[in-house]
Amino acid sequence: MMENAWIIPLFPLLSFLFLILFGKRLKEASAYIGILFTLASLVYSILVLFDRFSAPTFKAEGVWLTIGDVQLTAGFEVNQLNALMLVIVSLVSFLVHTYSKGYMQGDDRFPVFYAYLGLFTFAMLGLVISPNLLQTYFFWELVGLGSFLLIGFYFYKEEAKAAAKKAFIMTRIGDVGLLIGMILLFWQAGSFEYDEIFAAVEAGAISSTMITLTAILIFVGAVGKSGQFPLHTWLPDAMEGPTPVSALIHAATMVAAGVYLVAALFPLFTASETALMTVAVIGAFTAIFAASIGLVQKDIKRVLAYSTVSQLGYMMLALGSAGYVAGVFHLMTHAFFKALLFLAAGSVIHAVHTQNIEHMGGLWKKLRVTGPLFLIGTLAISGVPLFSGFFSKDEILIAAWAHGNTVLFWLAVIAAFFTAFYMFRLFFMVFAGEARTDMKNVHESPSVMTLPMVVLGVLAVVAGYVNTPWFGTFLGDWLVEDNHALGHGHIEGPAWIMIVATAVSLLGIFLAWLMYGKRSLARDWLTSRMPLSYNVLYNKYYIDEFYSLTVVNGAKFISSFLRFLEVFLVEGLVKSVTGITSSLGRLGSKFQNGQIQTYGTVAFVGLAILVVIYAFTGGYLK
Amino acid sequence: MNLTYFLSILVFSPLLGILVLSFLPKTQESLIKTVGFLATIPALVLALIAYFQYRAGAGLEQLNEKVSWIQFGDSGQMGNLFSIDYELGLDGFSLIMVVLTAVISTLAAIASIHIKKEWKGYFMLFLLLEVGMLGVFAAENLILFFIFFEITLIPTFFLIGKWGYFEKENAAYSFLIYNGLGSAVLLIVIMVLFARTGTANIDALMAAMNADNPQLVAPISENMKMGLLIALLIAFGVKLPIFPLHSWMVKVHVQAPPSIVMLHAGVLLKIGAFGLIRFGMGIFPEQFQSLAVWLAVLGVVNLLYGAFLAFVQTDFKMVLAYSSISHMGIVLIGLGALNEAGIQGAIFQVVSHGLIAALLFFLVSVFYERVQTSNIQNLGGLAKGMPITAGFLLAGAMASLGLPGMSGFVSEFMAFLGLFKEMPILAAVGAIGIIMTAVYLLRAVLGITYGKALRDFAGVTDMRKFEFVPVLVLVGLIVLIGVYPSVLSEPLTSTLETIMLGIGG
Repeated sequence: MMENAWIIPLFPLLSFLFLILFGKRLKEASAYIGILFTLASLVYSILVLFDRFSAPTFKAEGVWLTIGDVQLTAGFEVNQLNALMLVIVSLVSFLVHTYSKGYMQGDDRFPVFYAYLGLFTFAMLGLVISPNLLQTYFFWELVGLGSFLLIGFYFYKEEAKAAAKKAFIMTRIGDVGLLIGMILLFWQAGSFEYDEIFAAVEAGAISSTMITLTAILIFVGAVGKSGQFPLHTWLPDAMEGPTPVSALIHAATMVAAGVYLVAALFPLFTASETALMTVAVIGAFTAIFAASIGLVQKDIKRVLAYSTVSQLGYMMLALGSAGYVAGVFHLMTHAFFKALLFLAAGSVIHAVHTQNIEHMGGLWKKLRVTGPLFLIGTLAISGVPLFSGFFSKDEILIAAWAHGNTVLFWLAVIAAFFTAFYMFRLFFMVFAGEARTDMKNVHESPSVMTLPMVVLGVLAVVAGYVNTPWFGTFLGDWLVEDNHALGHGHIEGPAWIMIVATAVSLLGIFLAWLMYGKRSLARDWLTSRMPLSYNVLYNKYYIDEFYSLTVVNGAKFISSFLRFLEVFLVEGLVKSVTGITSSLGRLGSKFQNGQIQTYGTVAFVGLAILVVIYAFTGGYLK
Repeated sequence: MNLTYFLSILVFSPLLGILVLSFLPKTQESLIKTVGFLATIPALVLALIAYFQYRAGAGLEQLNEKVSWIQFGDSGQMGNLFSIDYELGLDGFSLIMVVLTAVISTLAAIASIHIKKEWKGYFMLFLLLEVGMLGVFAAENLILFFIFFEITLIPTFFLIGKWGYFEKENAAYSFLIYNGLGSAVLLIVIMVLFARTGTANIDALMAAMNADNPQLVAPISENMKMGLLIALLIAFGVKLPIFPLHSWMVKVHVQAPPSIVMLHAGVLLKIGAFGLIRFGMGIFPEQFQSLAVWLAVLGVVNLLYGAFLAFVQTDFKMVLAYSSISHMGIVLIGLGALNEAGIQGAIFQVVSHGLIAALLFFLVSVFYERVQTSNIQNLGGLAKGMPITAGFLLAGAMASLGLPGMSGFVSEFMAFLGLFKEMPILAAVGAIGIIMTAVYLLRAVLGITYGKALRDFAGVTDMRKFEFVPVLVLVGLIVLIGVYPSVLSEPLTSTLETIMLGIGG
């Protein structure tokens, strides 16, 4: 099975090509093409995963481009991480393809939507089986294209246009970091191949400064893609895209690519304590920073977006604390429960046609399927015991503690409290109490939308049990099998960590219930008591404003300055060139005055000059 | 197959079209356009035959042609010295340039359907221009190269000045003055070389100049070599163009008819890069090495200067003009790196930018034809009325900003790969250009296609029939090179080896 794993990304590519060519004629039947092709990918991915359980890593490559003596290769590799990612990506993609059939119904550009989904899925699957950095970068950019196209799907909306542009540019800033890091690494290790890079690192062929530099540059790419501070601002804006897209790209798969990249290059990062520390600090800071913004947002999708940023920060913290398994494990559980939350949010939006949670309320009775599923997702992300998020978050906290990152550990605990609070605030505001606006025509979504949610709901509950301190750390042991560079399958930590984690999440839930469920605490106590901090949070720490003031204006200033230069200096040069030419011409024409004496003089002077030159140089200009 | 006159037929085949056109009445619009288009086909077919034969293993030497042409002095006394032969030949690099020229000429001939007046004169000049371009790349000696080089100037001048937009005369004169000065400098270099070595043959020159004990008619000092190389840099720098010699080409991009800009941006600018590589690097390898740092610096300046200026333009054609300047910076960056990756990247960029610029300018002509403006502020929401055009425009922008899977990525990547090896700090500064390219292209393209529709698109038709041909061919080639770059790199192998041998790499 594994030797043919290259075919997995090709199914969605075919779907893309087919729908771009014939989508117009197929209309909404396009959905079936997309669903069938991703189903094929899913089935094949699962087979490959099972194959990988019993067989060693498989890798195949061929020459892609020759530069002098250097041969750059392309191919694919199925190791543990890749096999797992294949299943996660193709599963979520398949479910989102199915869900979209209901959600996007009636849209004029329905086939285009499915075509883009196919393109994205192709790129994402290609990304996770790449055996070298160059190919990873190749697909890394293509998933960015897919994301860009889908964020801007409603191209006629100015907000969608701005968001798509922002997403592309912000991630490209990160990508340049990745590109530079990768090229520098290439000249050090002599290859883009992961295993050859690791071999060079292990053999000590690369100086430690260079390892730190390249690792951090590559991490800059991950920061951009995974919406980490300070390149996070595009991700909340990306919510302008259709909601299924948010679930697939901006929650479960592409934004996790940054985490995947750090995980795939884990031996490089562990070779530099500074690089690891950078990852951990950025991760922990992003986790609490985004969670604090999430506390006060009013748009259902934006709350979820900030929670995604925050959760990705958790994963980075895990990897930066040498917790390979914890990071990958949380990537997996997060993919399920966050995709579930987004699809459920989509179902809510589908029903009530608004995204403002202040206009919602009392939907529990009306959305009898979406409500409980949303609750499951909320419980999972809040880290309530027995749900998947509980186990993976616990692993992360233990890793941070065990690595000695005490401050970061407590930051992560506070962020966990925030998470529980804002997620239940969201839940209570949407589902509890009474409807705050007219909600007569609210219907539960069709089963084509609810069924994918049910699948994700089940996974959000059970996915954690593949790696628990109670029943066994199967996932962890398998992930690090045969590869000592990845650390241990399970890190032992003090038992109180689990208790503290449970306590803070229950506390957060309780507080949210007091304020938004039972309402014994006024909802606006923060707003009224601390208007300044509320405003800072609500305006996302004014980071967008800061960027537009500095970076955007900076670029505009440089451009204006150069335009000034162009107009006065370069155009001046042009003017002088044309001026000299035409005055020479005028001078020349003055000699053409019809007087034979002038002609004679000119000829004589010219001849004299030539003779003088000849006399001095012997015919050659030295 | 008799290959004796293969290249001559290839180069001069468009003349047949001129001959036929001269017998046609000038009112027969569609007939003239058809003949004009058909006249570009033989060169295309022959170029493709040569390419595929070469890929199949046939040597390019069998295409060489040589006829004794001009002899100075007494041949008995001078031997082979001071003779100028009519000699054509190809190596991997020039073969690729010939194919590029033939492809873009055919597509530009299709794009010429949008020409509104005096088709007969237009196509005659157009075909003459094609002869010049093909000849430049096939010429085996400097004199012949120069003659073909000059042949390209005159038709271009008239094509801009007569069929262009509002300020066409101004643009045409700008073009002529700058390029005229450039070729004057080039002529001086050629004459000095010819006088001192007694040969104009490029291979012979390369051998003579780089031999340990050169057998020259008269000595050439190291300083003079440097001077000649700098003169070459100026001559070809005008063409490329290198900052600050670029302003003429901005005018041409904006004022010339799009079909001519396709040729101009697609092929004519590339003569600058071709000349730098072939003559600069080939004849003066040592001097080139000592100038490499400056070339790389100029490349980064070009890249950033063009990118930042493209960011504030309001006319899409201006954006593309500055984008061309910026992208030619990548050629210089690759040449400045002076290693395999860099040089290969530079050559890739020459081809890639040729295809991408042709694509984008064709798309400009497609929508300009329908909405009569290319001003970004007057456009918006074009994807509503012309979804296919808008889609291809976005694809062109993606290719231009170096999206992997398209040719722009491969060239940009290799050029930077090369420069990072030699001058990492400078390369890192240049990498800002990669970000800025995305910024200005998205600003421009999304400004045109996305957002609220500023106008009623009722009655505006999307791309039709023959308009698909250039777009599909160009996108196909761009993706082909992006996905399977060996189509380009393999024919280049031997050329690169020769160059690397010259610079002792």
